[in-house]
Amino acid sequence: MYQYNEFDRQFVRARAAQFRDQLRRHLDGELPDDDFRALRLQNGWYVQRHAPMLRVAVPYGELSSRQLHQLARIAREYDRDYGHFTTRQNLQFNWIPLTKAADVMDLLADVDMHGIQTSGNCIRNITTDALAGIAPDEVVDPRPYCEILRQWSTLHPEFAFLPRKFKIAVTGAHEDRAAIGWHDIGLQLLKNAAGEVGFKVLVGGGMGRTPIIGSVIGEFVPWQQILVYIEAIVRVYNRLGRRDNLYKARIKILVKAEGQAFVDAVNAEFRHILAHDLEGGAHLIPQAELDRVAHCFQLPEGLDAQRAPAAAPAPDGLPAAYLRWLERNVHAHRLPAYRAVTLSLKRAGQAPGDATGDQMDRAAELASRFSHGELRVTHDQNLLLPWVRDDQLQALWVAAREAGFATPNIGLLTDMIACPGGDFCALANARSIPVAAAITERFEDLDRLYDIGDIDLHVSGCINSCGHHHSGHIGILGVDKDGAEWYQITVAGSDGSTLSGAATPGKVIGPSFAAEEVPDVIEAVIETYRRERQPGERFIDTSRRLGPLPFRAAADAVRRATAAAAA
Amino acid sequence: MRFIDPRHDRWHRVEGEDGPIPHPDPQADRLLTLEQWHAVRETWPQGLTTGVVLPNTLDVDALADDLRGPQPRLALVVLQFPKWTDGRAYSQARVLRARHRFGGEVRAIGEVLVDMLPLLQRTGFDAVQLRRDQSVEAAVRALGFFPGHYQGDVLQPKPAFARDLQAETTATPRDAGLFAGQGI
Repeated sequence: MYQYNEFDRQFVRARAAQFRDQLRRHLDGELPDDDFRALRLQNGWYVQRHAPMLRVAVPYGELSSRQLHQLARIAREYDRDYGHFTTRQNLQFNWIPLTKAADVMDLLADVDMHGIQTSGNCIRNITTDALAGIAPDEVVDPRPYCEILRQWSTLHPEFAFLPRKFKIAVTGAHEDRAAIGWHDIGLQLLKNAAGEVGFKVLVGGGMGRTPIIGSVIGEFVPWQQILVYIEAIVRVYNRLGRRDNLYKARIKILVKAEGQAFVDAVNAEFRHILAHDLEGGAHLIPQAELDRVAHCFQLPEGLDAQRAPAAAPAPDGLPAAYLRWLERNVHAHRLPAYRAVTLSLKRAGQAPGDATGDQMDRAAELASRFSHGELRVTHDQNLLLPWVRDDQLQALWVAAREAGFATPNIGLLTDMIACPGGDFCALANARSIPVAAAITERFEDLDRLYDIGDIDLHVSGCINSCGHHHSGHIGILGVDKDGAEWYQITVAGSDGSTLSGAATPGKVIGPSFAAEEVPDVIEAVIETYRRERQPGERFIDTSRRLGPLPFRAAADAVRRATAAAAA
Repeated sequence: MRFIDPRHDRWHRVEGEDGPIPHPDPQADRLLTLEQWHAVRETWPQGLTTGVVLPNTLDVDALADDLRGPQPRLALVVLQFPKWTDGRAYSQARVLRARHRFGGEVRAIGEVLVDMLPLLQRTGFDAVQLRRDQSVEAAVRALGFFPGHYQGDVLQPKPAFARDLQAETTATPRDAGLFAGQGI
């Protein structure tokens, strides 16, 4: 993990002190709501339905046991004893009173954490592959570049008030586990024929009411130039992005409207910076800086990279539940004697991605015991232990089961993504958590889940798409009609992974459904797949091959409260 | 940073009842719209201290020929914040300084709040006219929180990775008092 130096620590403390001053002025009546809003947002503080929400940055998803213990303490002492892990690898608290906000920021700063740029119209926390640095299919470890980007974008004075939020995702593997096509900027690390490292740069992806997949703007930007290249992109966006209409303010709209002219403007800006600006080359990354940062991401101390793999025990004597867990929750590692293990946060009785203070402590203890004190927050709202020895898997399984993290459902239907929805979020049109709970209950039979196989189910409570419904093989979107909650269902969306195919939004299967119809509709859609699938076909394959119509017909057949589609 | 009190400002706009006068007479310390400047640029004498107000929708390259050199035609460029959360002028200021090497005054007007001061200073503004309800004292304090930043800016073009951080972290944070009392 990245190790904070004295400069980094002073910086985060300074940010906490600055926020304390702003909060004091606000509470004293010197700083009105309208002016305070953008300031608190850029520190992660929203005002939600019941109380402020704090979004804590987990840079590119990396978390230490020490940090997670501190988050557990904050949950216990300042919140109602739980937090919510998000698709952007962050953690949200829901019940901290604003008067305690500055104290919480100090507690975070004590463990090198903060809420900087987790909201607001600025460059947000950078996300990456949860298997960064450990995936067998990795070409280049993205984490040092993520950290360099994090530092560059942190409190960037020119880009704090962009037209709209700005999200960057990075991957360094063959498989895209970071959904880079769905981001304002997507970066894919590559090596060219000469073995040099560079980035393929996508720009203008995004969800929301206009789902668009990013376009390739640079095929190979040498790593040394990436900060300058991104500066050029963001400056063009800051100057030309629309500010007259909130729904047209994302960079995707500018890229779509301008097309090649946008690309030309970025390339011209890039050349100008390097050729004409005072110290224009100052942000070319020197080898020494990459080396300094990359040094932090070497193997954890005490890990034996040369250790030979343990002999696999004969499966005959092993519990079936353990075998299932091995199949779903344990992932290959670039070191042959190690595995990555997902701690499932998808289980009956708790919202997807939620963890209590006690559960956070338990996860942190598991990380200390089995994974050199390191965890990852995954895009799918689970936790992952990146450094587990293959001969400790069974011991980990026993401990994870006791802690409630061993549901063997990773990648299956109940491993769904869901936003907090209308139970918490002031933006939501409909609730997500009861829908997720009803589906989890309906599909609790593991044999059935395994028979359905790999599938991405994504639930968003509104068109802002925090639950990534567009990219789900099955997407559920909450909509508001005359004050009631309704749900639009899509099929065959993709995040861009190999399993899911090229990134694309799903297709709607008819008018929205009433909340109580949703589990039946999902079941009808799933049964259509089970009936129609050809040997070896996953849900996504069948839904792409058949198109939305058969699913629409099946869904219409279970409508009770709503009228069937006319078509 | 200079804090501008509009009651004691040497710069004056040239406006009539119907807005800016299209062809103002040559006079020092006039603050012109871009249209006015274009109208008089060829006829006004060199060396007359002139300022221009630039809308935040325009590219500062429009002024390129008037910014450079030991005696640029313009002594002041005023940039606008119609809403404080509209950050276009930060890019304008940075390009004015870093690309066009403008050495005159770059001033922020409009909805200028104290908490914008660190951003304004770092992107090259050296004068601000605060929104009427804002306190200069709070603005000065707002400049004092951070010992340094990661990325380079107009004041400090080198990013953290190109600087001697050990020397910075042992020093006290940038002295906010340096900016106190100027211009008021």
